[in-house]
Amino acid sequence: MVNALAPQTAERAAPSPPSAGPAVDGRRRGRRRQVVVAYLFLAPTLLFFAVFLFLPLGFALLLSMSRWAGFHLGDIDPVGLDNFAGLFADGSTFLTPVLTNTLLFALGTVVLALAGSVLVATCVDRLRFQGLWRTLYFLPIVTTVVAVGNVWKYMYEPGGLVNGVLNAAGLGSVAFLQDPDTALPSVVVVQAWASVGTAILVLTAGLKSIPESYYEAAALDGAGQVTVFLRITLPLLRPSLLFVCVTQFLTGLQSFALIIVMTKGGPGDATAVAALEMYRQAFSYGDWGTASAAAFVLFLVVLVVTLAQLWFFRRKGEDA
Amino acid sequence: MTGSRRPGGLSRRHFALALPSALLASGCAAPHRGTGRPGDPIVLTLLSHYASGALRDALQRPVDEWNATHDRVKVRTEAVEFTDLLTTLMVRQAAGQGADIIHPYCLWNGQLVRAGVLRPAPAEHAEEIRNGYGAAAVGAASVGGRVYGYPTEVQTYALYYNKRLLRGAGIDGPPRTWRELEEAAHRTARRDRYGNTLVQGFGLSTYDDSTTVGQTLALLNAAGGRFVSADGRGTAIDSPAGRAVFGLEHRLVAGGASAPGVNVYQAFPSGQVAMVVSAGWWTESLKELMGADYREVGVAPVPRPGAGYAHATLSTGFMLGVNAAGGHPREAWEFLHWLNTERVGVKGARKGAAATRMSALQVSVGSLTGRADDMRTLLGEGGDPNLRPFLDALAYAVPEPNVPGAQQAKSLLRRNIEALWTGQQSIDEALRTTRRQVDREVSRSW
Repeated sequence: MVNALAPQTAERAAPSPPSAGPAVDGRRRGRRRQVVVAYLFLAPTLLFFAVFLFLPLGFALLLSMSRWAGFHLGDIDPVGLDNFAGLFADGSTFLTPVLTNTLLFALGTVVLALAGSVLVATCVDRLRFQGLWRTLYFLPIVTTVVAVGNVWKYMYEPGGLVNGVLNAAGLGSVAFLQDPDTALPSVVVVQAWASVGTAILVLTAGLKSIPESYYEAAALDGAGQVTVFLRITLPLLRPSLLFVCVTQFLTGLQSFALIIVMTKGGPGDATAVAALEMYRQAFSYGDWGTASAAAFVLFLVVLVVTLAQLWFFRRKGEDA
Repeated sequence: MTGSRRPGGLSRRHFALALPSALLASGCAAPHRGTGRPGDPIVLTLLSHYASGALRDALQRPVDEWNATHDRVKVRTEAVEFTDLLTTLMVRQAAGQGADIIHPYCLWNGQLVRAGVLRPAPAEHAEEIRNGYGAAAVGAASVGGRVYGYPTEVQTYALYYNKRLLRGAGIDGPPRTWRELEEAAHRTARRDRYGNTLVQGFGLSTYDDSTTVGQTLALLNAAGGRFVSADGRGTAIDSPAGRAVFGLEHRLVAGGASAPGVNVYQAFPSGQVAMVVSAGWWTESLKELMGADYREVGVAPVPRPGAGYAHATLSTGFMLGVNAAGGHPREAWEFLHWLNTERVGVKGARKGAAATRMSALQVSVGSLTGRADDMRTLLGEGGDPNLRPFLDALAYAVPEPNVPGAQQAKSLLRRNIEALWTGQQSIDEALRTTRRQVDREVSRSW
């Protein structure tokens, strides 16, 4: 519709050539009208972004440099960079163990989920009834985090399924979620298990896009399974791996629902992560300033990690 | 500014300012309270966590009675789950939709008072509250010595014990001192060859705030200690009493008499915990869960470090207060006075016996209020004897600290207790870290 207006304005401007002024004015008017119409069409989207992105972002930035208990908008008290300084002050737990746990949680999840999904996707790609297998592995994604967390919590408990298997093998019980040394790895395993379905879907699609002729050529040259996997499958799967890696890392850095269900950040601070800390600061302690400052620090961490991943994959020749 | 404005139109800058302002104004507009027409009733909203089952019905009954007998002021209840209560209070208050009457957990009172959410009780109501309730209940409903509401549900902590397990270990009665407690805990504890806990002697559990902080503070109070300093601006846990409590818990865990990974709320009714310190509300749940086995449950005062110590324990609770942003404070206090102070006849009690509607409500759901006289009337002679120690504790219980930052202080204490129980910290480290972290956060909250 925007384009359709242009000829009309051009036709209206055409009959008056003697003076360049009115023609130029007409073109300007027509262009202005085009711009107005374009913005009118864009308005719903812009309004959506303004209300749901820029307004909250600006509000969060304001809060990160203020003290606010969360009750009256008039009580927002500017404090400069005090909230950021408080996060890294001596005695604060934000850097260690909270931020460290967050990175370990995300890294552990990505490594496990990526390794597991590459393995499973490669196997599924060679099986019959691939749709069925993909559906089975995707099931954890459509299950609520609360259910997943509680089921695994019971499985980890002393006397639960996992310890039952250990006991049957003659081994002693392990307090998976109660021991600070095993609590975080135990939750990482569950998060990886719960997110492996999406990765498998993406990777099986990636495997399908690799031309069969490469494998035929490799077979003719007598390449073994491992060589084919390392020299053909993995390099050509790199775009899918990049996507899975970046999205899983982003999810890992921001997630806390599973942790709140399984350990509530404990024992002690053993499984406390940044997103959980932000939630507590804002909704339990009424310290929205610290929560918002922590959110911006987490945003920077996410940005740096994502850029580092993109740089790494591009260095390897992948145009992300 | 005028340069960019066209005659008769709004400038872009005006528009840019007006749009968010309009959005904010529409979000923060005063809530609708009745029709506002002359002669129409005022509708007060009451926000509580009595969201389901018996609790919701118990509150609704007196509210219906009020609405049926009062034409000018009506009350409408609104409820959310307890886990959502503080968040709901915050969000609704920020949006200008705060309820007229709120029912907060007393731990949050300092935070709510500092944020200007709670209105102080008028002098006549404050006087009534001071005279009508036990010291712990009044303390919980007060901040800085000023009363902010009517105490409703009050929980005190005492020692639950399994008579059968104690008898089986050759112990006749509940422990009265910490030495007896440790001895009984070690004698009753049992594990299988894989290290799984079969019976926990004394139930220390990382399950929730009540099982970690609640019972630690009950033992701390019994040792004459306090969590928060007298001026409310720091912690007093790094003291001989605090060291004694942390030492006791550390010995119980290290010696295998306690297993913090066990959920005591499941394990005790199943006969897998010999003793545990918990609040009075649990008696009703235990009756339902244990059936006939409930007769093996006994309750005794929290053991003291030695015979020379006076009885003391922890009390927690809720109160009904009036929102400072509400439009009808006088009517709200009038309703609260009617609900919490006026005495009505009690069904099933002796002739002439009377209690407040709130006391009757709380007892009907197996809870207590801070009115000891009401409780004695309502529980009667033939009531559950296990409730008596909780009732007696109303006289000597210490209210949970409710200074600004109390919720965060409690969370920090819990993390350090868990770190102590799981061997991440020594007793000294746990005390020192708790003091440093709590002092820092509580001082920031003032």
